[in-house]
Amino acid sequence: MGKRTIIPFGPQHPVLPEPVHLDLVIEDEKVVEAIPSIGFIHRGLEKLVEKKEYTEMVYVIERICGICSFGHGWGYCAAVEGAMDVKVPERAEYLRTIWMELSRMHSHLLWLGLLADGFGFESLFQHCWRIRETILDIFEETTGGRVIFSVCKVGGIRKNINNETLAKIDGILEGIRKDIKEVADVFIEDDSVKNRLVGVGVLTKEDAIELGTVGPVARASGVEQDIRLTGSGVYDEIGFEPIIETAGDSYARCVVRIRELFQSINLIQKSIAKIPDGDIEIPVKGNVTGEFVLRLEQPRGEAFYYAKGFDKGTKFLERMRVRTPTNANIPAMVKTLQNCDLADVPILILTIDPCISCTER
Amino acid sequence: MGTFKIGKLVMKSLFRKPATLMYPVIPRKWQERTRGHISIDEASCILCGICDKKCPTNAITIDKKTRTWTIQRMQCIQCGCCTEVCPKKCLGMEPEYTEPGVSKVVDIFTIPQVEKKANSGTNSSNAGDGELKCNLDECVYCGLCAKNCPVSALEVDRKEKIWKVDKDACITCGVCIDKCPKKCLVIE
Amino acid sequence: MSEKKFLIQDIQDVTNSELLSRVRNLKADEYRLIQICATTKEEGFEVLYSFDKDHIVLNLRLVIGENDEVESVTKEYWHAFIYENEMSDLFGIKFLHNELDYNGHFFKVAEKTPWKNK
Repeated sequence: MGKRTIIPFGPQHPVLPEPVHLDLVIEDEKVVEAIPSIGFIHRGLEKLVEKKEYTEMVYVIERICGICSFGHGWGYCAAVEGAMDVKVPERAEYLRTIWMELSRMHSHLLWLGLLADGFGFESLFQHCWRIRETILDIFEETTGGRVIFSVCKVGGIRKNINNETLAKIDGILEGIRKDIKEVADVFIEDDSVKNRLVGVGVLTKEDAIELGTVGPVARASGVEQDIRLTGSGVYDEIGFEPIIETAGDSYARCVVRIRELFQSINLIQKSIAKIPDGDIEIPVKGNVTGEFVLRLEQPRGEAFYYAKGFDKGTKFLERMRVRTPTNANIPAMVKTLQNCDLADVPILILTIDPCISCTER
Repeated sequence: MGTFKIGKLVMKSLFRKPATLMYPVIPRKWQERTRGHISIDEASCILCGICDKKCPTNAITIDKKTRTWTIQRMQCIQCGCCTEVCPKKCLGMEPEYTEPGVSKVVDIFTIPQVEKKANSGTNSSNAGDGELKCNLDECVYCGLCAKNCPVSALEVDRKEKIWKVDKDACITCGVCIDKCPKKCLVIE
Repeated sequence: MSEKKFLIQDIQDVTNSELLSRVRNLKADEYRLIQICATTKEEGFEVLYSFDKDHIVLNLRLVIGENDEVESVTKEYWHAFIYENEMSDLFGIKFLHNELDYNGHFFKVAEKTPWKNK
């Protein structure tokens, strides 16, 4: 019977992109229990709703997180548009979907790089991020910013992409499809990578449903759940099927994200082929009353947006609630950490793709 | 065999040119739409103050007495709201970023005073010129001009059919002219 | 083209005493808990529970006073501990029989219950 020690993990750790604190109870190199505690990045952004009008609040909500920034902007605008009963034009929906899928690609490439860095494979990390740079250049060319776009507003979008630029984006994506395939082959087939990922941190399907996991973590355990099937954006017009794997270990979570990368390229190319011409915004005036609940599929899973205006209707919202996917995946992370080796702890934390600044707005 | 699968990628990158730029020796090429910093065309500014009200971070300050337009560069988030609401379209978004520095950069621009001409009549874009007049035959007293006036210089009463402008408060920005549905307002 | 599921908005009011039995029925019906959030009103709070089944959302709204205590749902849904601890740290709402209670130390905030009407 070994002696139990408690090792504090984080908030500063080379493998963590953002600070989170875990108290690991270990017994002879095996982790028995993990107790999370968060709150290092709490900025109280939801409380700023009292001071900023609903048209200006979008800039605050966009800055909750740098990686999932466009998703938050779209979610906020769509929730307020639902509360005010406003329907945006078709072209705006198509362009929002295209930017969202590009966001998903850049987020998954970032995560692949971090995972490679997590087990020490630094050259693979840099190759993934080199491919990600082409996508960031596309963002800068179309919206003006590499990370924070400021392109969504209540009522539509602020900048248009003309058809020549769309054709150019199509060409660029076809070109990087080959590059991504080379990098993906290393993740999927290399023996040294497989040794670190296969069989590590298994999450069974019953546990995934019981703990309320969302996103690629749930889809890798066989749960068929993807919010893109609910109909926001234009996914039902371009045809979409979620990607499911059944193994439930870290290798399956990696494979789900790689296959989603290729699926995103196909979705963007289909949207570019079908995009209609037209307006990109409709003018929105007046105060916000009513409430609306909306969910979007961010790169990390299901994000929940709830906007509520005052009953008498003012320019300020009464409450804006954002519940991000990492918030829902933390219990799953705690469960996979039980009975794992101490050396696997960084990899397991990375496979749920933690975005702690989203968790604690 | 699944060993050293990255070999092909490594060999290729030995013979490719590097993906990074020797910055700052080789300067960076800016894209056209990059949101870098805000620039102002001082001659067209009429100090209406709409950009000051709309800025979400309060980075712009307008002082009418000293005729200055001040922007705190490090507070600005380059959202572009001010460029969209300016009635004279004198604000623009330039692609170069503000240089990083050790103290907060504040830029102050002085707006030149324009001499009042005797008979303007032409569509001059001079600042603070002319008077706001309403064609009362066409006016329906809807009140849209009064609601959108940034300095609250207009008074409109639908029942009593009153339309009044406070000439001292009016800054002739022209927002009411854009909003009027009957196009009965003019500055001359 | 299928109907847009996200436009279905279903918010039902529920009282403090029938909350736990409603939640138990939803768990037996295989609903998944999405989130719990609280809004500060002039007198008290309004707590919103959201559940999901087959990609359709069902919301329960619970209105409580400032010092009311709410039964915790962690026995049915263990992962509700995150939302309940966050609410008790930020708003000061008390939850009874919480299975994993951090006693006010889940979130590191500078002053206690910053979002409560003071």
